Amino acid sequence: MEAAAAQATASGWRANLATIAAMTARAKNELLRVPGAAIPGVLAPTIFFLGLNGVFGALIDLRGFDTSSYESFIVPVSMLQGAGFTGAAAGVNLARDYEQGWVDRLLVSPAPRWVLLAGNVLAASARSLVPATFVLAIGFAIGVQWPGLDGLLVCYLMVAAMAAVAACWGSMLALHYKSQSAAPLMQAGMMALVLLTPAYAPLELLQPWLEAVARINPVTHVVEAARQGFVGDVTWAGTWPGIVALVGLLVVLGSLALREMRRTNV
Amino acid sequence: MSGLGTNARVVRALGARSIRQTFRRPQLISPIIVFPTLLLAIQTGGAGAGINLPGFPPVQSFLQFMLAGSMMQSMMLAGNSGGIAFAVDIEMGFTDRLFASPIPRFAIVLGRLAGTAALGLFASVWFLAIGLIFGAHIEGGIPGALLATFLITASSLAVGGIGAAIALRSGSASVVQGLFPLVLVVLFLSSAFFPQELMIEPAKTIAEYNPFSFIVEGVREPIVSGIDAKQTLEAVAAIVGIILLGLALSASALRHRLRVG
Amino acid sequence: MPAIEVVGLERAFGDVRAVQGIDLEVEEGEIYGFLGPNGAGKTTTVRMLTTLLLPTGGRAGVAGHDVVAEARQVRASIGVALQEAALDPLMTGRELIRLQATLQGLPPAAGRKRADELLERVDLAGAADRRVGGYSGGMKRRLDLAAALVHEPRVLFLDEPTTGLDPVSRKTIWEEVRELNDDGTTVFLTTQYLEEADQLADNVGIIDRGRIVAEGTPETLKSEVGTPHVELLVGEGALLEAERVCAELGRLLPSKDGERVLLEVAQGAADIPRVVRALDEAGIAVESLELVRPTLDDVFVAKTGHRLEGEEEAVPV
Repeated sequence: MEAAAAQATASGWRANLATIAAMTARAKNELLRVPGAAIPGVLAPTIFFLGLNGVFGALIDLRGFDTSSYESFIVPVSMLQGAGFTGAAAGVNLARDYEQGWVDRLLVSPAPRWVLLAGNVLAASARSLVPATFVLAIGFAIGVQWPGLDGLLVCYLMVAAMAAVAACWGSMLALHYKSQSAAPLMQAGMMALVLLTPAYAPLELLQPWLEAVARINPVTHVVEAARQGFVGDVTWAGTWPGIVALVGLLVVLGSLALREMRRTNV
Repeated sequence: MSGLGTNARVVRALGARSIRQTFRRPQLISPIIVFPTLLLAIQTGGAGAGINLPGFPPVQSFLQFMLAGSMMQSMMLAGNSGGIAFAVDIEMGFTDRLFASPIPRFAIVLGRLAGTAALGLFASVWFLAIGLIFGAHIEGGIPGALLATFLITASSLAVGGIGAAIALRSGSASVVQGLFPLVLVVLFLSSAFFPQELMIEPAKTIAEYNPFSFIVEGVREPIVSGIDAKQTLEAVAAIVGIILLGLALSASALRHRLRVG
Repeated sequence: MPAIEVVGLERAFGDVRAVQGIDLEVEEGEIYGFLGPNGAGKTTTVRMLTTLLLPTGGRAGVAGHDVVAEARQVRASIGVALQEAALDPLMTGRELIRLQATLQGLPPAAGRKRADELLERVDLAGAADRRVGGYSGGMKRRLDLAAALVHEPRVLFLDEPTTGLDPVSRKTIWEEVRELNDDGTTVFLTTQYLEEADQLADNVGIIDRGRIVAEGTPETLKSEVGTPHVELLVGEGALLEAERVCAELGRLLPSKDGERVLLEVAQGAADIPRVVRALDEAGIAVESLELVRPTLDDVFVAKTGHRLEGEEEAVPV
């Protein structure tokens, strides 16, 4: 009946990894055990992709585009939008879990707070690959250029990391407001972050105010890194700014989310 | 119980409840107003260079062009939201209370739609104001603004009717909520966000025959050039068509609900 | 060292002082019943002791660790079954216990074994692989209890463990709590049910509006507010004679309605035969006899002026 042994194990890295894995595994239940739950997350970015292509496709005739295929130009944006949506949804789920008392179960255990957060975030990252792949498949069907293996890998890396960023943002809001009513803020925040970039057109063709915003928005680098293979060649120079931007966002939003996780008892 | 006066009072009472419900929950309004505003900013900023494409209709700015589309988007989200609220009423059993009383059925639905219409009105005023603040001209002046507002408010009644019909048929808020992507699909397959002539197939052809394109054009014309009788009549015809469809679906759904319980 | 030690514990939410400086001590191996009406501050107190809420004043120690400075050590030593039965409806019972084991740091094999043991113990082995969403209220509580025991905690916190359960399920939970306590687990139990505190607790603390108004064993508390008495309804015209006979047997209490005789019976039910015999020998017919014992509700009324269960009306103290 000694808690000391459990305590010693609880502080071990093995226990932390096991906890992260267990929480990530639980997150898949939402997709696999609730009929139709996966559909909105997959449908929304697909609709946007096809819709934007149908509506704004003629923009490709403007001078300034590096490619002649608008669908190739915007497919990475839709994939990143899907990542943002998935991550924000992880925040909404956390808020719901909080309202129903599930989060208390996690908070009362000796697992470190960062471990609890990491499970939620990694699950979102993994889940984001589903809508991204769906959008890409549809894209290939309507004529998106093959980005090469390197382009594909870079794009998926950006998508997975973007979902983690969105999950940190959503988790931060969920733990701060402790209510699902913060859901619109979670979604809108990520939508703004991904779309206030050269999402629909290259930087030079954006209206001046949006160009200015896009130049300071770190996600611009993420969009451009993800887009590389689809519109041209993949280079390290085109990739590292995206990685730096994502690492920076993860550090900032992750710290804020962790802070909220630690302050749930205030 | 009989008489136009009684019915009117009932509609007013239910309508007031519907409007109060709608505006008392800011977290429900914000997606209807905030998302379309955000999209307006992004799409104007991102695709604004499109007005330089050959064949783009003469407009003062892309913002001026887009206002009608944003109003449409808000209006349709409001219709979806009204349908959800109605479905919640059904799930909660509130509509049973109404059905068991001697209120005419149409008054129940009409009262519900009042909230949606109020939101539609609010949305059109909001976007006209946004447009003016950010430098867009309303070429049709005050009459043009009033016409645009009237068309959007009427459309919200029409779309709300469809939402109510779905709510009555399914009795489930999550079913109505699941139709939200459909709103986006309908809008993308219309001339809400870009001139129909410059869209890519097959969206281009679908948009040509999409009744919502007629409505959007009817709302857009007074803003970008001035009131045009033909365009206005086409918009009104489309709205009437949707209202009739909504009425037919609602009536059938009501019969189904009262039969099934 | 006490299992739980609380000194001047306070919690304010803005202007609302939910817990206003409480002191209590729970010895190792004790069952402590924390009794009070809704809104008294029970759940707030439990949440502070289980590190889910920071106190705004005072201090508390659980299993030898301060709840603020050594929160993690506290969490490793306690098991908690909260009011909301924090369960995931999409998980099976077995998955939930295993997850809890992982959260507590048990290695996978040990966690699996422990899950099987506990599911058997709370009689959920048959339903272990069904989703929690389909469990009845009683099953959910049993599962919650099992999850709280996965790491053999030194101190177990149960927040209203039987609220909303039918009498049979309630008894099952009580038996389980007694068994745990027999094994040496300290139990801190909050409840709004008198019978629960009476039946289970070694010591009871009564809380009202954020303050502890009484503390002691159930028997001690009840004896403070009175001894048992019998209420006798006798035949017409026999009241005075009955009072004379009873006065020789013990202390008479003031009659509530002028029709009944109230006689203190220090031995409780054991005194009834001699009362009945005495009245019978005096030729007095007894129409009805009722043994009335003081309850914890009487203790509550004595200390606070209102009832714990049922009506809110003030009773003159």
